[in-house]
Amino acid sequence: MPGAWVGLALLGALVAPVLLRSPSHQNLLVLTAINVILVASLDMLIGLSGLVSLGHAAFWGIGAYTSALLVMRAGVPFLVALPAAGLAAAAAGLVIGYPSLRLRGHYFVLVTFIFGIIVTLLLTSWVELTRGPMGLPGIPFATLPWVGGTEVVLNTFQDKVRYYYLVLVVALLTLWVRSRIMGSRMGRALVAVREDEDLGQTLGVDTHRYKMGVFVLSTAQAGLAGSLYAHYSTFLAPETFDYVASFDLFVMNLVGGAGTPLGPVVGPVLLTAVRDALRSTHPVLGAVLFGVFLILSIQFLPRGVVGVWDHLRGRRRW
Amino acid sequence: MRRAVDVVTILQFGVNGLFVATGYALVALGLTLIFGVLHVADFAQGALYMLGAYVSFYATQAGGVGYFAAVALAMATGAVLAALNGGVVYLPLQRHGGSLTFVAALGVLLILQNAALWWFGGDFRLVPSPFGDGKFSAGGVVLTHHQAFVLGATGCLVLLLWAGLRYTKPGKALRAMAQQPEAARLVGIDIQRVGLLAFAVAGGLAGGAGALMAPVRAFDPHIGAVVILKSFAIVIFGGMGSVPGAIVGAAVVALAETFTAAYLAAEFADLVAFGLMIVALFARPQGLLGRLPT
Repeated sequence: MPGAWVGLALLGALVAPVLLRSPSHQNLLVLTAINVILVASLDMLIGLSGLVSLGHAAFWGIGAYTSALLVMRAGVPFLVALPAAGLAAAAAGLVIGYPSLRLRGHYFVLVTFIFGIIVTLLLTSWVELTRGPMGLPGIPFATLPWVGGTEVVLNTFQDKVRYYYLVLVVALLTLWVRSRIMGSRMGRALVAVREDEDLGQTLGVDTHRYKMGVFVLSTAQAGLAGSLYAHYSTFLAPETFDYVASFDLFVMNLVGGAGTPLGPVVGPVLLTAVRDALRSTHPVLGAVLFGVFLILSIQFLPRGVVGVWDHLRGRRRW
Repeated sequence: MRRAVDVVTILQFGVNGLFVATGYALVALGLTLIFGVLHVADFAQGALYMLGAYVSFYATQAGGVGYFAAVALAMATGAVLAALNGGVVYLPLQRHGGSLTFVAALGVLLILQNAALWWFGGDFRLVPSPFGDGKFSAGGVVLTHHQAFVLGATGCLVLLLWAGLRYTKPGKALRAMAQQPEAARLVGIDIQRVGLLAFAVAGGLAGGAGALMAPVRAFDPHIGAVVILKSFAIVIFGGMGSVPGAIVGAAVVALAETFTAAYLAAEFADLVAFGLMIVALFARPQGLLGRLPT
């Protein structure tokens, strides 16, 4: 792994809010960092284990709504709601993953996809809990305990930089966990799942257990990203977490380079701003272009920008 | 909303449910056919249903074509587009593995849906039925002439499909591909051609379903996504790759949906198909009438 690039990326992430001073740019920075968490956790499934999940945004949404509702309805502090969001998403991952990961073939991708649809339908129809299509406004800002028993309120309308660093910490932790897993026994078992599951099982690897492990971990991280998103934007709507959002994450991962060390950073950095601009200026044309782009990148960029870069430099996948 | 629980009302909901089932069944049949042969989950079939509905709308309203000719035109459009789609997008992707074709299929759905939104606008449309308001009535249970026509037409299409798969040479090649792809290749079956045939047949069914339903169910460009998601849940519930499973699954889901909307909660009726699918995945992952992948 090219350590120089990692150092450079880290430096860039740290100084970015100092260089980009306008609120709209800083907004994109926070969203990019949240996407890094989501794509890095998704890539543990797609890139590492070969498990294509098309419902990742649903787990993000479960985390977001769990955290928002816990703080709003139960008065739970942010620092409790954040892990609770991760736990809720992980619980959903456990329920969905257990049956679908036992099956080979396309069951996993289908079930995750349809699970995403179900979550969007539930968030839309369960109006008493989520306010449905009207959306959930007025989510309190995150508060963190500070020295001397005081509290810091992270008002993201006034100051996005502090919140960006909070998200960055979680993003770096997610990337760190991902790289640790890749080098571990679990990571090797998951590569076995990706390359030849039968062979792995024959050699005594309990592939179902490892697949469950990585799926629950990945969905938990998506849940954390949900909580971070909820207390950043202070407004949630079901369509933020619909199947198109799951698609966006898939494409970011694909374009960045699934299974490559820096892919989950490159994809969101390249695409978050583009997607945001397309969605807000011309959603219909944006969706058409997005579909075309998606198909072309599947055809011609199966290992993403990082893959092309490595190819040009004559390097093989590690 | 309280509904009367008497025989006539229940029979009426049963009839309505069966009618809803025909639309799902035609799309689900195409999906299961493509899936059985090529292991591609072709979500773009939903867009072909939607385009079939629009073809029948513009052919009858602007083109001065009769409704029955419009249905045939919708089927032809669906078949051509599906084969094109299969040849250009999916078959070249086969070497990358099935999950990516699934994503590409959703991409095609997204493209067609938004292109339709652009060209046709977002207004809801309805095609006038050639049968007008005519209806049969037996003991209080009502079946409109159009509903009867759709039920009959669906029956004919299913029979044709069954006979085609069973007795014609291309049909046998399709079944051979589904059962033993390697052996099919060994005896000289051209996979590309059989694959394109599966796409064309499925596209024809989906386009036809769109046109058949267009006089009953108001549609906009988003209808394709709604129909395909349910058809997909039906295919998983009935058993991926199983033709009888698609039909039985469609009937079960449509009836469950109709009765849920009538007696339980209308806002959750859309969830029924997915609920049944999840139950099937836990209890019988190969689906009602399917076989487990090996």
